Amino acid sequence: MMGIGVLSGIDHVIMDVTLALVPLVIFFIAFQVLYLKLPASYIFNLLTGVIFTFIGMVLFLQGVHVAFLPVGQQIGGFFGSMEARWVIIPFGFLVGFLATYAEPAVRILCSQVEESSSGFIRGSLLMLVLSGGVAGFVALGMARLVYDIPFLPVMVIGYFCAILLLPFAEKDFIAIAFDSGGVATGPMAVTFLMALSVGASAVIEGRNPVTDGFGLIAFIALAPILAVLLLSVVFRIKKVKSNAV
Amino acid sequence: MQQDFKETFLEVLKAVTPIVVVIIVTEVVLLRISSGALAEFVIGTLMVVLGFAFFLSGVKIGLLPMGEAIGSELPRSGSVILIVGIAFIFGFFATVAEPDVQVLSGMIDIASNGEIGRGLLLGVIGIGVGFFVATAMLRIILGVPIAYLIAAGYLAVLVLALRTPPDFLAISFDAGGVTTGPLTVPFILALGIGVSSVLGGRSQLSDGFGLIGLASIGPILGVMAMGAIAA
Repeated sequence: MMGIGVLSGIDHVIMDVTLALVPLVIFFIAFQVLYLKLPASYIFNLLTGVIFTFIGMVLFLQGVHVAFLPVGQQIGGFFGSMEARWVIIPFGFLVGFLATYAEPAVRILCSQVEESSSGFIRGSLLMLVLSGGVAGFVALGMARLVYDIPFLPVMVIGYFCAILLLPFAEKDFIAIAFDSGGVATGPMAVTFLMALSVGASAVIEGRNPVTDGFGLIAFIALAPILAVLLLSVVFRIKKVKSNAV
Repeated sequence: MQQDFKETFLEVLKAVTPIVVVIIVTEVVLLRISSGALAEFVIGTLMVVLGFAFFLSGVKIGLLPMGEAIGSELPRSGSVILIVGIAFIFGFFATVAEPDVQVLSGMIDIASNGEIGRGLLLGVIGIGVGFFVATAMLRIILGVPIAYLIAAGYLAVLVLALRTPPDFLAISFDAGGVTTGPLTVPFILALGIGVSSVLGGRSQLSDGFGLIGLASIGPILGVMAMGAIAA
């Protein structure tokens, strides 16, 4: 009974993944035949990698469908139908913080920034600022559901702040900042948090899952941009000060 | 390779463990779910972790070298049209195969009761990324500063946002967020670095960077346009 539950719908997942990967492989083979002409043994290695990717995507998507999405919707629905539904705000903060702090891509970004600033910006500090920033934006996303905060003004103010910071930020950091938008939107956080938000929006009266349930990923993507730009400005001020001495 | 896989697996496990613990505690203490449902969640989580580790290793030994091979071969052709065209196809295929993009499209399909279809959404997001990756290649070739393009892109987003129907607004920004995944990012970077290293003379570092930021503007504009057409 349980085994069937875990595998339900896997045929669709297998088809989706096949559809996603086959064009990529055909594209590469065409390139190989026309231009690259790499040795066959090397191609064989690459194809092993493609098979790994295939198995991985099927397992991952299936796991997300049977575990992360339903559970996220369930918990979101639970908090959303509570009397004190604001509890979902601190819950979102907690999960947002943990998700970011544990994300390998975030750690890579932090050490990258530490290097680019020749140690001025400590990686561990950036980790805290980033995790706190993401947590704050997830909490904001949940507050948006509870208190009906409109989506667009938050985005506009967020990006407006980013643009205001641009002239004061170091050039190298601008590129890193905008590239870092994706580090916190890892597949783990996105699947669960998105389902949480959609689940809550489905049960709160006056909310619509399509218009209100989504938008959280966009919030999460804003946090690292603002955090890196802000630290870059701080770094620049520090540098000017130390040069003046 | 085995060592590599083990490391990736442990890293993924570390990344999910804190959230999974919070979920399990919440499910057991507050929702009091049955042990069968709990077992199903745990099995599903193991599938996620194992699957993601397989996926990351597969990308590393399969798809990424493919991207690098094409990225370094492509600029040698010297044809701007070929570079830009292939960059488009590259961006498109990498994006539709991205797990995050698949999950988001599926979720939107379900939440909208099929009104915003999964397949169409995948296509629009893919075209959005493809278009901006192609633009980014043009930028590297022509030497246009990245800040100009990003500013222009977000300005377009702002203007279009005012005319986007509410059903598509939040979704469009989410679509921009999910494209920066573990497949698209290294794939596009490989292409960008390949092109800027062969074309030479420019700062490789700052040319390669910024590509991802640009790539996430495309889907936002694409989904907004989709909403404008639907309305």
